[in-house]
Amino acid sequence: MAAISVAAEWQLLYNRYYRKPEIYSMAWKNVDLSRNKVACASMGGPIAVIRDDSKIVQLYAESALRKLRIFNSAGVQISETVWKNPGGRLIGMAWTEDQILVCATQDGTVYRYNIHSELIEPTISMGKECFEQSVVECVFWGNGMVCVNEANQLFCIPDFKNPKPCMLLGEVEQLPMPPLCVAVIEPQYTMSGNVEVLVGVDDDHVLLVEEDGGVQQVSVEVGPIQKMVVSGNGKLLACFSHDGKLLVMSTDFSNIIFEYNCESALPPEQLAWCGMDSVLLYWDDMLLMVGPYGDPVRYVYDEPIILIPECDGVRILTNTSLEFLQRVSDSTESIFKIGSTLPAALLYDALDHFDRRSAKADENLRLIRSSLPEAVEACIDAAGHEFDVSRQRTLLRAASYGQAFCHFQRDRFQEMCKTLRVLNAVRNHDIGIPLSIQQYKLLTPSILVGRLINAHRHALAVRISDYLGMNQEVVIMHWACAKIAASLAEVVIMHWACAKIAASLAIPDDALLEILLEKLRICKGISYAAVAAHADKSGRRKLTAMLVEHEPRSSKQVPLLLSIGEEDTALTKATECGDTDLVYLVLFHIWQKRPALELFGMIQARPLARDLFISYGRCYKHEFLKDFFLSTGQLQDVSFLLWKESWELSKNPMASKGSPLQGPRIKLIEKAQSLFAETKEHAFESKAAEEHAKLLRIQHELEVTTKQAIFVDSSISDTIRTCIVLGNHRAAMKVRTEFKVSEKRWYWLKVFALATIRDWDALEKFSKEKRPPIGYRPFVEACIDADEKGEALKYIPKLADPREKAEAYARIGMAKEAADAASQAKDGELLGRLKLSFAQNAAASSIFDTLRDRLSFQGVS
Amino acid sequence: MAQIPSLDNAPVNLTSIRDQSQKELITILKNIRGRKCLVIDPKLGGSLSLIIQTSLLREHGVELRHLNADPIQTECTKIVYLVRTQLDLMKFICSHVHNDASKGLQREYFVYFVPRRAVACEKILEEEKVHHLMTIGEYPLYLLPLDEDVLSFELDNAFKECAVDGDMSSLWYIAKAIHKLEFSFGLIPNVRAKGKASVRVADILNRMQAEEPVNSSEMGVPEINTLIILDREVDMVTPMCSQLTYEGLLDEFLRVNNGAVELDSSIMGIQQEGKKIKVPLNSSDKLFKEIRDLNFEVVVQVLRQKATSMKQDYTEMTTTNQSVSELKDFVKKLNSLPEITRHINLAQHLSTFTSKPSFLGRLDMEQTMVEAQSYDICFEYIEEMIHKQEPLVNVLRLLILFSVTNAGLPKKNFDYLRRELLHSYGFEHMATLNNLEKAGLIRKQESKSNWLTIKRALQLVVDDTDTANPNDISYVFSGYAPLSIRLVQHAVRSGWRSVEEILKLLPGPHSETKRSGFASSPSFNTLPGAVSNMDKVSDGRRSLVLVVFIGGVTFAEISALRFLSAQEGMAYDLIVGTTKIINGHTLTETFIENLG
Repeated sequence: MAAISVAAEWQLLYNRYYRKPEIYSMAWKNVDLSRNKVACASMGGPIAVIRDDSKIVQLYAESALRKLRIFNSAGVQISETVWKNPGGRLIGMAWTEDQILVCATQDGTVYRYNIHSELIEPTISMGKECFEQSVVECVFWGNGMVCVNEANQLFCIPDFKNPKPCMLLGEVEQLPMPPLCVAVIEPQYTMSGNVEVLVGVDDDHVLLVEEDGGVQQVSVEVGPIQKMVVSGNGKLLACFSHDGKLLVMSTDFSNIIFEYNCESALPPEQLAWCGMDSVLLYWDDMLLMVGPYGDPVRYVYDEPIILIPECDGVRILTNTSLEFLQRVSDSTESIFKIGSTLPAALLYDALDHFDRRSAKADENLRLIRSSLPEAVEACIDAAGHEFDVSRQRTLLRAASYGQAFCHFQRDRFQEMCKTLRVLNAVRNHDIGIPLSIQQYKLLTPSILVGRLINAHRHALAVRISDYLGMNQEVVIMHWACAKIAASLAEVVIMHWACAKIAASLAIPDDALLEILLEKLRICKGISYAAVAAHADKSGRRKLTAMLVEHEPRSSKQVPLLLSIGEEDTALTKATECGDTDLVYLVLFHIWQKRPALELFGMIQARPLARDLFISYGRCYKHEFLKDFFLSTGQLQDVSFLLWKESWELSKNPMASKGSPLQGPRIKLIEKAQSLFAETKEHAFESKAAEEHAKLLRIQHELEVTTKQAIFVDSSISDTIRTCIVLGNHRAAMKVRTEFKVSEKRWYWLKVFALATIRDWDALEKFSKEKRPPIGYRPFVEACIDADEKGEALKYIPKLADPREKAEAYARIGMAKEAADAASQAKDGELLGRLKLSFAQNAAASSIFDTLRDRLSFQGVS
Repeated sequence: MAQIPSLDNAPVNLTSIRDQSQKELITILKNIRGRKCLVIDPKLGGSLSLIIQTSLLREHGVELRHLNADPIQTECTKIVYLVRTQLDLMKFICSHVHNDASKGLQREYFVYFVPRRAVACEKILEEEKVHHLMTIGEYPLYLLPLDEDVLSFELDNAFKECAVDGDMSSLWYIAKAIHKLEFSFGLIPNVRAKGKASVRVADILNRMQAEEPVNSSEMGVPEINTLIILDREVDMVTPMCSQLTYEGLLDEFLRVNNGAVELDSSIMGIQQEGKKIKVPLNSSDKLFKEIRDLNFEVVVQVLRQKATSMKQDYTEMTTTNQSVSELKDFVKKLNSLPEITRHINLAQHLSTFTSKPSFLGRLDMEQTMVEAQSYDICFEYIEEMIHKQEPLVNVLRLLILFSVTNAGLPKKNFDYLRRELLHSYGFEHMATLNNLEKAGLIRKQESKSNWLTIKRALQLVVDDTDTANPNDISYVFSGYAPLSIRLVQHAVRSGWRSVEEILKLLPGPHSETKRSGFASSPSFNTLPGAVSNMDKVSDGRRSLVLVVFIGGVTFAEISALRFLSAQEGMAYDLIVGTTKIINGHTLTETFIENLG
């Protein structure tokens, strides 16, 4: 029976079954893993192969030049290139999460290739320390890399997306000796969020190096560690000790989970985690699988193998085949385990009977009636774990058979069919991506589609994204333009268009435009500019210009217009769209490319561009701005700039107040004044500048004569007040006449100044000089403000307006007098207000009430 | 009570907008590993305090600093700048980096621009040769919910930049912010704009829709039905008048910043010498929500009433026997006691300002200017203010009001007052005067003023205003109905058509557009006062009008809008978008440019 043969291929490790079906027989010819350096990407990714230059190998009918070849997982070659890179021996090679091949050479140069064997610029250098002291070992993880050089210094690239090499260890201290083994804990699993490097050194400790330079010694009681590897979830560490023990412990070294004594003290060539539950050790010919309990499982290989750890198992690559070693899922086990009588097994069996038209089918179903849904579920789940299409089909048929007799979620079934169709499509030899269902879920469909696009499998990518209904799903594609959030189909079509342009050198522009537009139109909101940019890169100017016209997004259109030299159009488009950032972009571009006068001419007629230029100039380029104003004849603006500069001069510490350095300031102001005078409309400004220069001179003199640096940069009024406060009435008078200060202002100033120094006699004298031109109010206010009621009373009776009088009395708390004055003014509203201010004073308040009543009574009569 | 308001009662889901902003900020911080020193532009500090608690920032390993000229003192090797895209801030960053370099300090620099990167700023970094040392990113904070019904774009200088410098960057940001709202709440079908900047924003908004369309078929009925955009320039009279609502007065005298006032703790009855405390003011405070929009006179009465009834309850409680449920009610009332005390303290503090004769005199003068009947009295009042050297901003504020209502001053007066200003306050204020003249706020008279016509046609001065039971928006200024809100009132009721003639008398063009994207139905062509089917969102909520002020809005105007929205027969809820909350003082300050 079929069921038996399935389970016959399984191996038991303690209580768990493992199996390793062959997925592909490799399509490649004459690839010997032992002669080559090989890098395999996880998640069914590509395989890079290059002849190992650290080994002496015999050359068959091949060139002495080494070739870097990239295959898919089924051994179908995707691309190849000749390796001509300098830098010495290739030390390490691995794929990043984004499927970029990273190759590190002896001199610390890191070359990056895409899946098409095209070198990605720029190459990265690990620094001069690595250049001088060769790199000896590299360890890679998801998107990063750590390397050790001969000087035992440790370097790291934390993230290839933003490749900035840094030195982890070596500035002050180095590793004490060449490391025995190196492993990394990925940043996503560490407390600090930085990568942590574990280095096995002599004796019995391991060094833990962190990205920010911290080094900790962790002692391990088992002696020097020869090899170690961190589990996929970053929590566990498997190590092989010098005395032939395999230890599994937590990565914080707090406890040892289990240990196993291998028969060999020779460290294994490869050590890898198989999922989370077992560890694989590989010596020549022998692959050993060790779990926490029970006897290990042994596999024998007579050819070299490479272990490729995955999240749910390990792929085993040999010269001729690719196998997938994984734990048998619970659902599969429940169906195919020998002698299983679980509902799922019975359902599967029932289908078999049904196909053979045996009545036992019904019998089986009756047996499991109540647990039918779970049996269906198990069959669906088991189908998902199968690589064999016919077995998938049988399992799904079993599920569908059971489904007919019970209530079951149909969606689950449909969803599994969809998933399997996608998986089978990508597992096809030609595509060669042997994803398991778990890997697929972890990877997500959108990234899978992205990978297909990268491999130029556009048709399949579009079909899958269509099939899964991903068109609406908005995915941010980091490798597309960072700013566009593009739908998946959009990205695919875009990619197609770019490839088309590159491939159609012979097709004339017009025809190619038609071909492109036809497809681009399918996607609303697609970036024409991106396609145009590609056309530009391929040197097709005319096509570029035609495509740019179709771009609705100004932010994409304008930069392209600039790059093809259409500056004027760019400026117009930028101004129209209202995005000032784009206007600036164009401005700076022209500024850099063209002579100043041409720039001035271009912006003169465009107010927005001109004003933005002026704003920038005001902030950062005074001199250039002056040139602009001069060239356009805006002399008054030049004057303002000069005037402003005159103050900046005063801030200069050299021009401390009172020093003769006021000279240059005054010169600047005078220059500004003469420029203002050029135009009639600026007579006021011109006069003001003239007065300012004069004021500075007078203030300077005052500072010299009074030996007090308190005048410069105060206003005319303040200067007068200061003079009066200092008792220098003659100087005050002089300033007054110099600047023709009006009588009114003069009275306010002098009264307040005298009140400041509380010279009440002088104030009284001043009030009697002549009848004050603005009355006695300033005197009253100054006294009240200074809280001198007695002084105030000297002037209040002299106030002409009875309302003012009333309020003045009120302010010094004389209710009766206030009321009298108010009733004289016959102002009801005023009385009300005054009453409010005497709210606390009942007696006063009643006075106001009676007065107001009388008043309103009068009003009525 | 927290300074971050609860937005649960907002007519649209503003919480999600705020959460998004918070998440974006945290992502930025998370992506920079380890400890870091976050240097923020002081103007942004206030905005951030409405998005994220400082404690949460600390959790992400952040040391907080304010950006200024002084070099940064910190142990952190990672310096993260969070700055608005303002050219003048770049020189601080450059000087910091140069300073570090001269001291041999090796630091990693990150610059995050709010709301987005700008070529011009980066150009300065480049010219100063520091650009290559920085990792540059952006923090797309385009709008910030200040309260349930108020959104701010946090563009403090928008008005000045547009009116004086001709720098229209803020208009793009505003359009972007509105477009972002549309992505959440659907394409707004009706757009009415008045003023040069507003019409431009409407235009940019249409462009954005063409470039990055909001897919309205997926979103269903748009939640916001109408967008009204107004330039501050259209109504400069209102902000220059002293606001008389509770919240308005708080802002006038104590400066409400990002939903909180800071004052001496002694005012709030906490005896801690010289310590400042922050009092949050937003709708999460139930009592504040009730009284914020009332005329201050009424607020005093309401508070007195509440306090008295509380006292009465208390006496009853102590003298008579009460049932358990009555006790429970009383305890519930007691919960509002802290709120009552808080506002009594604030109101008491405010009344020390409002009872000053100088304030009353000023109100009188504003009233006189709005009436625009007695030119000489006003002129002499301002002249005397200058002679007394009263604070410059106060003088300018009245002068703007005076100039705007008179369409400028006769040349002789204009030159005279300018000269007196320069003589009294210093020649460095030449630049300020120049700015104000460019913006048309204080200028030479060139034609006859049409203020009287506008005032009459829109009934801006209402004689018998009952502040306690108002029936018109004029209660917010005790007799003057803000022009801006009168326009909104018309625009909501029947579009611009009814006020076409008046609009022509006000500065700037106006526009009215219908935007489709939503299946157009003929019933859409008129926006009826009565509730039509389209105006109702499916779950029975009223549909919304978003009123956007370019150049800022005052609390009094917001109060007036809330009053409108609460009127019977009003079919819409109103929410406000503004470049910033302003008052006459803060608005005038943006024009002050010290040459020195």
